[in-house]
Amino acid sequence: MTALRTISFTLNGKQVSAQIAPHHSLLEVVRNDFSLYGARESCGQGLCGCCTLIVDGRAVSGCLYLAAFADGAAVETIESLDRDNVLDPVQEAFIEEGAFQCGFCTPGFVLMVKQLLDEHPDPDDDRIRDYLSGNLCRCGAYPEILRAVKSAARKRRASKAA
Amino acid sequence: MTPFELAEPLTVADALRFLDPDDSTVRPLGGGTALMLMMKAGVFRPTRLVSLRRIASLSRITALPDGGLVIGALTPLSDVEHSTEVARRAGVIVRTMRRLSNVRVRNVATIGGCLAHGDPHMDLPPVLMALDASIAVAGRTGKRTLKVENLFAGYYETVLKRDEIITELHIPAQGGRRAAYLKCTTGSADDWPALGVAVSFEAEGSAISAPRVVVSAATEKATRLNGAEAVLSGATIDDALLARAGDAAADEAETISDVRGSAPYKRELLRVYVRRAVRQAFEAERPLSSPPPLAREGREGAQGGAH
Ligand SMILES: Cc1cc2nc3c(=O)[nH]c(=O)nc-3n(C[C@H](O)[C@H](O)[C@H](O)COP(=O)(O)OP(=O)(O)OC[C@H]3O[C@@H](n4cnc5c(N)ncnc54)[C@H](O)[C@@H]3O)c2cc1C
Ligand code: FES
Ligand code: FES
Repeated sequence: MTALRTISFTLNGKQVSAQIAPHHSLLEVVRNDFSLYGARESCGQGLCGCCTLIVDGRAVSGCLYLAAFADGAAVETIESLDRDNVLDPVQEAFIEEGAFQCGFCTPGFVLMVKQLLDEHPDPDDDRIRDYLSGNLCRCGAYPEILRAVKSAARKRRASKAA
Repeated sequence: MTPFELAEPLTVADALRFLDPDDSTVRPLGGGTALMLMMKAGVFRPTRLVSLRRIASLSRITALPDGGLVIGALTPLSDVEHSTEVARRAGVIVRTMRRLSNVRVRNVATIGGCLAHGDPHMDLPPVLMALDASIAVAGRTGKRTLKVENLFAGYYETVLKRDEIITELHIPAQGGRRAAYLKCTTGSADDWPALGVAVSFEAEGSAISAPRVVVSAATEKATRLNGAEAVLSGATIDDALLARAGDAAADEAETISDVRGSAPYKRELLRVYVRRAVRQAFEAERPLSSPPPLAREGREGAQGGAH
């Protein structure tokens, strides 16, 4: 009844396929089948953002997203930012502002901030809170994260202008 | 989660064939955000889910010539949130989205799922009831339309049959109607609300007509408050009227106790929030030429709630 099926999608730009069961989440597939461990399950309920993945350009909670939905889609994980030691402006800003302690929440925050800045290059505080209200940081680095978002926004605008 | 079979039909007719009127373990699947939670918690163990995502005709937003809107049941909430047509024709929906869960959930959850889930704490059902929206429902024996206000049968219960699916949401032209939705969360700001209040009405100067007042979260299901509507109908808006509308709402609503507050507490919240919601709708969507704003309500007014 629950036959395995093959799904094909692009993962961080590469064409891949995987054998999945219908009840597998996309998070399980990127971790277990592709050994990408940047996204992790924490709350498992869509609340904390630790499992954030980008599917066809939109952030989703990998813990609540069926892998079957990714068939034919473009999936990106935090590992997509790994470009020969060149950091993304958002990563740079997080480091400069000290926007983490343990780092467990950081991949999810970085992906959400990228999504925010793609859609709103110069976000005000309300907009930042709207995008990040679904990301929790148990270390409480929120003030630093807010500063990092603004700094990343400035960096991106500067590099666009240059 | 326990294993299940996943059907991914391409048409509504095929989807209906995969459903089963007699089997509660077979269900339609929209974005899956609510079902995934239920499956993970083990409270729902499906044998088959019928995904509606591949039915292309179900995820469109259409602006009707008469000013109305048709939104396909599979449209993700974020598409509705970012639609300029929705913003222009039913701005209250866009304002409601901002405080509905988070960006990732809105990217995946669908309009149909929001309606069919039947959780009384959800934000869109009361708003859609205040806008007098209806849904198109497809079943094996044909189609029917249903007012959103008649969709809910009880706590997590709707009048939908097991082999029916919601295909479309229809929001009638709002003309000059003004609307607002406020919710009160008693836990963290992003917790499920203890109370939701949606209102809409026509205003000619300060005179209110055709009001609709809906309570959610504090009651077993989203419910229209006819008493409060009767108080507002044909009346001139002032602070005394707002107070009477709030009192009428508190008198008639059957609030229930839960972890977010006792029934009497929610009754008092309702008294205040009806007042605020009517005020906000009147002021926020006030045309430029209308009368001056009402006296401010001090602390209470400033806390406002929804954006
Ligand atoms: C972390 C989190 C926070 C949330 N916070 C809020 C909030 O603040 N406010 C709020 O309003 N909601 C909130 N939600 C709820 C969210 O709105 C629901 O999970 C969502 O609306 C369900 O939509 P879906 O498309 O994912 O439904 P699914 O999970 O796919 O389905 C839900 C139910 O509807 C049925 N169904 C789905 N589509 C159809 C259809 N077209 N026809 C017939 N039946 C159908 C399914 O069979 C199932 O019973 C939150 C959810 C999460 C995960
Ligand atoms: S683990 Fe998915 S949102 Fe928390
Ligand atoms: S840095 Fe530790 S959880 Fe955010």
